[in-house]
Amino acid sequence: MSAMLDWVLDPLSRTFMQHAFAAIVLVGVICGVIGTFVTLRGLAFMGDALAHAIFPGVVIAFVLGGNVLIGALIAAVLVSLAIGAVGQSERLSNDTAIGVLFAGGFALGIALISAERSYAKDLSSFLFGTILGVSRSDLLLTGGVGLTVLLTIGLFRRELSMIAFDRTFAQANGLNLWVYDQLFLLLLSLAIVISLQTVGNILVLAMLVTPAATARLLTDRLPWMAFLAALIGAGSGVVGLYVSYYRGISSGASVVLVATAIFALAYLFAPRTGVVTVRLGRRLHFPHPEHDAFPVDADESPSLPQPHIPYRDPAAGQTGRQPTAS
Amino acid sequence: MTPTTIGGSTSTGRLETAGVSVHFGPRSALEEINVRFGVAETISLLGPNGAGKSTLLKLLAGMLPPSHGEVLLDGVPVRKPTQGVVYVPQRTGVDWTFPVNVLDVALMGRAGSRSRLTRFAEHDRMEGLAALDRVGMRRFAGVQIGQLSGGQQQRVFLARALLQAGQIYLLDEPFAGVDVPTQELLIDLFEGLRREGRTIIYATHDLAQAAKCSNRVLLINRRVIANGPPSHVMTATNLRATFGGQAVLIPAGAEIAVVAEDSAG
Repeated sequence: MSAMLDWVLDPLSRTFMQHAFAAIVLVGVICGVIGTFVTLRGLAFMGDALAHAIFPGVVIAFVLGGNVLIGALIAAVLVSLAIGAVGQSERLSNDTAIGVLFAGGFALGIALISAERSYAKDLSSFLFGTILGVSRSDLLLTGGVGLTVLLTIGLFRRELSMIAFDRTFAQANGLNLWVYDQLFLLLLSLAIVISLQTVGNILVLAMLVTPAATARLLTDRLPWMAFLAALIGAGSGVVGLYVSYYRGISSGASVVLVATAIFALAYLFAPRTGVVTVRLGRRLHFPHPEHDAFPVDADESPSLPQPHIPYRDPAAGQTGRQPTAS
Repeated sequence: MTPTTIGGSTSTGRLETAGVSVHFGPRSALEEINVRFGVAETISLLGPNGAGKSTLLKLLAGMLPPSHGEVLLDGVPVRKPTQGVVYVPQRTGVDWTFPVNVLDVALMGRAGSRSRLTRFAEHDRMEGLAALDRVGMRRFAGVQIGQLSGGQQQRVFLARALLQAGQIYLLDEPFAGVDVPTQELLIDLFEGLRREGRTIIYATHDLAQAAKCSNRVLLINRRVIANGPPSHVMTATNLRATFGGQAVLIPAGAEIAVVAEDSAG
């Protein structure tokens, strides 16, 4: 028992690990929440592109001895505006615009840093993060920026989810889609920038997408999805750091692998959507799935948990049972 | 989204287009549209695919600026979406896998007028449920939106529109791909709204539907072909001018006969 406790507590006695744990929890929560909107809007590629395209900003700030976060932010804003502008072109899709700027920006970053003497070491610390080198001031900055991001999402949650669900309706409601899209990209850039030191340029995508995707498998409600994504993100971070500490593997990779493992578990065994669960459940409980397409007497109070929809028959999905129109 | 006067009779809700044209690049979508929409009318915009029905609706909703001319609401030019004009988009533009339930979607009709800091108040939720009740969807309040059939999804959109409490309802293809009970519900609902003094303008390419449940038909194919009560405007000549040789419907008394016509003729 005490050996177990030692196992848990040992890393926590070291300051650099305390900082690392705090940083990964912050990043897990922030990326989980904003990642919820990233996955729902299908913006994973955009997130990846932003993470890479802000690279030159990071490098320029580093070379000039300025604040790396500020350099990254300036680059992120410029890149998201540029993607918006190029994507407006009638001949190019948004995806193409992202692809062009993503690779171009990344190449510029590598070109700039390759001129430096400590090239290899610097490059790898940017690409994979240096979570063990998180200082107290880094933590404060991460926390401050992260809190700002979370509060802004909270304030504009209705607008952001309306736009993600039904853009035309949002527009008809007088929302300026361009302004909200830019706001969202700015928040996303901030989240990516503060994750760079922790998980690095390349694996930040996993922190945005994987916990949110896992959460989507577990719930049908947006607020719960954001909450679960934050929880899963932070949890993978903590577990991943322990694995990294004891197995001596790269912390970023370890965190992402834990998140991926949780996703795999949810994919297979999620209560209502898991591949295995559904098959088992179909065999055990629902010999006549067409009878279960809709709850027969769903409780009408919305404050109670939503009715159980155990199985959706693809054939019954289109026609569905109609309620008697009153 | 800016809450203006709610509940007060600030406008009578009279829409009108004055010499409106819309061009997308070199392509013209609408030409010289001059129409006055009355109050407490159900008006169907009838025309084939690509006739500019959706464009006209978006124009009326203030979502699209005209290339020429003006859209006027009670004599005032419409340049952006205004409260009181409710637009119900086509079902196809929506992500139905989205993690929201039926009540969440209905309450989006209230999202703009509620505090950012708090949750929806109990009376909003009750009104949300009442709107769902009106479209026969109350007992699906907790069901994820993607689990519904097409007709049920359309009903939820209507509940959301009802919660927006508009004076003018603009609906893009509300009858497309919905089941018969939903069609009947839509017709009843339109009639109810009209009796409350509201105006319903909807796009359709279903001739029989337009003849049955609107008291005015606007035949359009990039320009206005005819405008008036169904029995007056739905003549073979007008329909041929609107639809070309696709299919022609001839009103015969109260009955509607659909006559497929040789496209060469």
